[in-house]
Amino acid sequence: MSVVPALSYEGVGFSYAAAPGASASGEVLRDVTLEVPEGEFVLLVGATGSGKSTLLRLAKPEIAPAGRLEGEVRAFGRDVRGLGPVESARAVGYVFQDPDAQIVCDTVWHEVAFGLENLGVDEGEMRRRVAETCNFLGMEPWLRMRTAELSGGQRQTLALAATLALRPRLLLLDEPTAMLDPLAEKSFLSLLFRANRELGMTVVVATHAPRPMLDYATRALRIEDGSVLPVGLGELAKAPSLEPVPRRGGPSACGDPASRSAAASRVVPASRSAAASRFAGEKDLLRADNLWLRYARDGRWVLRGLDLSVAAGEVRALVGSNGCGKSTLLAALAGALRTQRGRVRNAAAASQALLPQSPRALLARETVADELSEWRRAGGYDAAEVSAALGRIGLAGAAGRHPYDLSGGQQQLLALEKLLLLHPRLLLLDEPTKGLDDAFRARVAARVAAARDAGATVLVATHDLGFVRAVADSVSLLFDGEVAVTEPTATFFERSWLYRDR
Amino acid sequence: MSESAHRELTGPVAGEKNLRPGPCVARPDAAPARRRPTPFETCHATVPAVCLAGTVALSMLAAQPVCVGVSLAGALAFSLAARGARATARGLVWQVPMLALVCLFNPLFSASGSTLLFKLGPRSVYAESLAYGATMGALMVAGVLWLEDAAAVLTQDRLLALAGRRMRSLPLVVSMAAQLAPQLLGRAHAVRTALDACTAAGPRPGRREGLVRTSTLLMGWALEDSLGRADAMRARGWESGLPRTCYRTERLRRSDVAALVGLAALLALAAAGAWVACADWRFYPRMEGLAPWWCYVPLVLLAALPTVVAAVGRVRDRGLS
Repeated sequence: MSVVPALSYEGVGFSYAAAPGASASGEVLRDVTLEVPEGEFVLLVGATGSGKSTLLRLAKPEIAPAGRLEGEVRAFGRDVRGLGPVESARAVGYVFQDPDAQIVCDTVWHEVAFGLENLGVDEGEMRRRVAETCNFLGMEPWLRMRTAELSGGQRQTLALAATLALRPRLLLLDEPTAMLDPLAEKSFLSLLFRANRELGMTVVVATHAPRPMLDYATRALRIEDGSVLPVGLGELAKAPSLEPVPRRGGPSACGDPASRSAAASRVVPASRSAAASRFAGEKDLLRADNLWLRYARDGRWVLRGLDLSVAAGEVRALVGSNGCGKSTLLAALAGALRTQRGRVRNAAAASQALLPQSPRALLARETVADELSEWRRAGGYDAAEVSAALGRIGLAGAAGRHPYDLSGGQQQLLALEKLLLLHPRLLLLDEPTKGLDDAFRARVAARVAAARDAGATVLVATHDLGFVRAVADSVSLLFDGEVAVTEPTATFFERSWLYRDR
Repeated sequence: MSESAHRELTGPVAGEKNLRPGPCVARPDAAPARRRPTPFETCHATVPAVCLAGTVALSMLAAQPVCVGVSLAGALAFSLAARGARATARGLVWQVPMLALVCLFNPLFSASGSTLLFKLGPRSVYAESLAYGATMGALMVAGVLWLEDAAAVLTQDRLLALAGRRMRSLPLVVSMAAQLAPQLLGRAHAVRTALDACTAAGPRPGRREGLVRTSTLLMGWALEDSLGRADAMRARGWESGLPRTCYRTERLRRSDVAALVGLAALLALAAAGAWVACADWRFYPRMEGLAPWWCYVPLVLLAALPTVVAAVGRVRDRGLS
């Protein structure tokens, strides 16, 4: 007797209902046939927009996209189109990407119980399931907290708990860790792994950054041009990281492979002295002395006696753990947050731009073209430059679309380009590569490098060490509200015990 | 060593940072948690709800100096016990002037009474109308204080648990709204910060224009979120067609029922006493008709009850750090 797979696609093709005025057929999937045996941990990799979400959503009829579906999607041998909402909720769980948008209730316990309430589970059974789920995920300490007080990592764990409480046999996750910092990602994945191994749940994760999950996965599938093909886990581990973007008109301060290997073999590498001397004669563009900042009168100090100086033309990366004050520091340096003590001297105070963590905080117009034109007068650029900018970020064909209809990566590029059109002398970037796939990371890196080559000073707060290596001249490590160390990038990576990008 | 293995070591305990870096929104790390023992925590929410609602209603209806004084004293004592001296003092900063204002303004509008104190221009100021004003002012302050006390004792989720079985979606609507407010504030702060920081974009838009820009942006953002949230709800069986059940964190026990019966009896007695006290009392033309002392006893007991409950709780907690 053959074993029924947890999830199977048989000759599945899917095209979105064509938008009015659109000529393209909107075909996303073509003749996809695959089987996921019960108990596996499967990665579904592919670039943003390759159809990963569509493929997963087709297995969940309540949230399946509108369009034309061919072939059959089966969960545990049953065509999912025949599953009612109750059966579907019990058989297939789904966790979304955005930690903010998928929380419904305002207390943790209510969120965990929400799905059970919907399914009319009686009170006794509900108590057991909420208790067991919280025990399994170690959520008891924050059971009575309000969801608004949770960190992103906790919110995502809560989303997982709310789904696990329904005891689905198959768990589908769409980029569940894209918005999390590396540590929150690790702890979320370990919980997911436990659900897979200890509860025997079949797990399918769609991701564009499979590396942190390779230790857990049993196999991987790649989706490309609408087709799904198996890919070796080893192959994914070998995938190249971000390539360094050398400075125009000279060798990179930190990046080229030759100097990197030299750095590994010598005590005082040539690249370090080169980087150290690069800005030796430069005047500081930005200088902070003894900054103290906290958000509430009796709150903890986020910045405590922080000193920082950034030379004109330098690209400085700010790294450090979550909550160490990177974003706060950027806002304080920009003069958008008042410090309780200390002084910021900013030679570019009148010509600076800040890219916030979420590009949506910057996107205020109805169309992509309007977005880039919003600050035309102040920036002194014309319509021709706007269309050139659209071309540079690959959105020439999307000028009339709403920014929210773009992918996360495109939104980030659009927000960055909006700032770059102003030619700011100081560019402050807060997690510019968060949630982006490798292709978009590389494009963001290229645009930042272009701004650097044009003479801008860049300060970038990030967890993305590949990005740091690709564009930064030097790195400052923030700890306990202070700068613990500032070094040229190559030296920093070479001497660091923790921070290496591969 | 792989990037993933290294990444594991690069962050601290807290998860991803949410978009609420502003001083306007409560941050978990912004202040040490205010942990004051909450009175009535160990009984069903209906007990404090009935007790406080009854007390508020009685104090509002019994506009008689002794009744009002008793209610005000009870409200103040409970405020000190449940909310602490600091929060109470912060409230009194505006409540005392309000009381004084009502007290002083009443004689200007109603010049009745028999004991002439002094003349203010053409107006005569009588002791009776001053007393009437003071009583009304104290009544308002007592009402506000009792409501503040109730808010400290009955947190939102306890209050929502009281919603009847027929109003099951009400708690959900309220809790979604409760989430939305801090999220919007946090995002508004992020939008403002970004705009303030982008000096290269020229001068800030005018106040009105800025407000329109921010609110349009936030609206779009929230709408986009709501699509995601609707999917997340449907994925967990929302609109499954089955009757929804309700997860209750509190259960009504026999002791709660006994407490409620006792409370109802005390409320009835206090109401009767207050009725007698008010029926005989008049401010004008001269203040007279004070009821005998035993009329006020149930009211005093009722007003003191929450503080006594809080004090008993403290005594039971002694020995705990």
